[in-house]
Amino acid sequence: MNLFGLMDTSGQAMRAERMRAEVVAANMANAETTRTASGGPYQRQHVVFAANKGDSGFLNSLASASGGSGAGSTALPVGNFGSSGAAAPGVHIAEVVTDTAPPLKRYDPGHPDAGADGFVSYPDINPLTEMVDLMGATRAYGLNGSAVQAEKAMIVSALDIAKS
Amino acid sequence: MGMEIETRLSDQLARFLDLASSETKLTAANMANIDTPGYRTVGMDFETEMSEALSGLDQGQAAKPVRIQMTDGLIARPDGNNVSLDRESLNLAEAQLKFKTGVALLRQENQRILDAIHADK
Repeated sequence: MNLFGLMDTSGQAMRAERMRAEVVAANMANAETTRTASGGPYQRQHVVFAANKGDSGFLNSLASASGGSGAGSTALPVGNFGSSGAAAPGVHIAEVVTDTAPPLKRYDPGHPDAGADGFVSYPDINPLTEMVDLMGATRAYGLNGSAVQAEKAMIVSALDIAKS
Repeated sequence: MGMEIETRLSDQLARFLDLASSETKLTAANMANIDTPGYRTVGMDFETEMSEALSGLDQGQAAKPVRIQMTDGLIARPDGNNVSLDRESLNLAEAQLKFKTGVALLRQENQRILDAIHADK
C-alpha cells in the first residue's frame, strides 16, 4: 500500500479546484470585455471535472453496474484495488467549456464596439453565479487540503513505527 | 521450527494498517471527486475485510486486494453526484484514528520484542 499515492489523489483534486477558481476569476475579470481575439464579446467559460479511472487492469466499469444517471455516469471502478501500481483514483479536468449563451445587449451608441443599431454586446456573466462557483471551489480546495494534512500525519506516524 | 521475530499480532496489525490506508484512499478519492458530475461514492466493508484478512493470515495466504463497493443510501445531487462532504470528513477522521491506533499498537509490540532482546542488560 502506497501512502504517497493518497497525496497524489488529493493533490490532483487541489490542482483541478484551483484551475476552476482561475476560470472563475477569468470570467469575473472579463465581465465587461467586449473585444476578444476571436471577435465579439468574451464568452463565459466553465470547467468539467471527470474521475480518473486508474489503469484498465482494475477497471470493472461502473457505467453498466450503476445503470448510469443520464449523460455518462462516472465513478471509481467498483472491484478490487489493484496492488500492481494502479494509477491514483483521482480527478482531472476533462475540458473547459465555453458557454454559448447569447450576449447581453446594452444600448450605448457612443461605445466603439456598438453595432449599427447602437447596442453593445456584453458577456452574459452573472457575478452571483461566479461567486457561488468560486466559493464551491474554495471549499473543495480546503477539503482536499485537509485530506493532505491527514495523509501527512499518517505518513509521519508510520515513520514512528521504526523509532523506539 | 525456525525462530520468528515478528509476532502474529504484528502481522495482524500490518494487515490492519493496510486496510486503514485503503479506507483513507477511498475517502480521498471521494473527496477529490466532490464536484465531478455523475460520480458515485465508493467505500469498503472494513469489518468483513478485516476478518477475511485475519483468517487469510492464519492460513498463510498473502494479502488480498480490497473489494470496492458502491455506497448506498446517499442523496444524489441533480448532477448525479452523491458525495457528502460531512460523511467523507468523518470517514477520513475515523480512518486516521484507526491508522494511529494500529501504529501505536505496533510500536508497543516492537518495544516488547526489543525488551526481550535486551532482557539481559
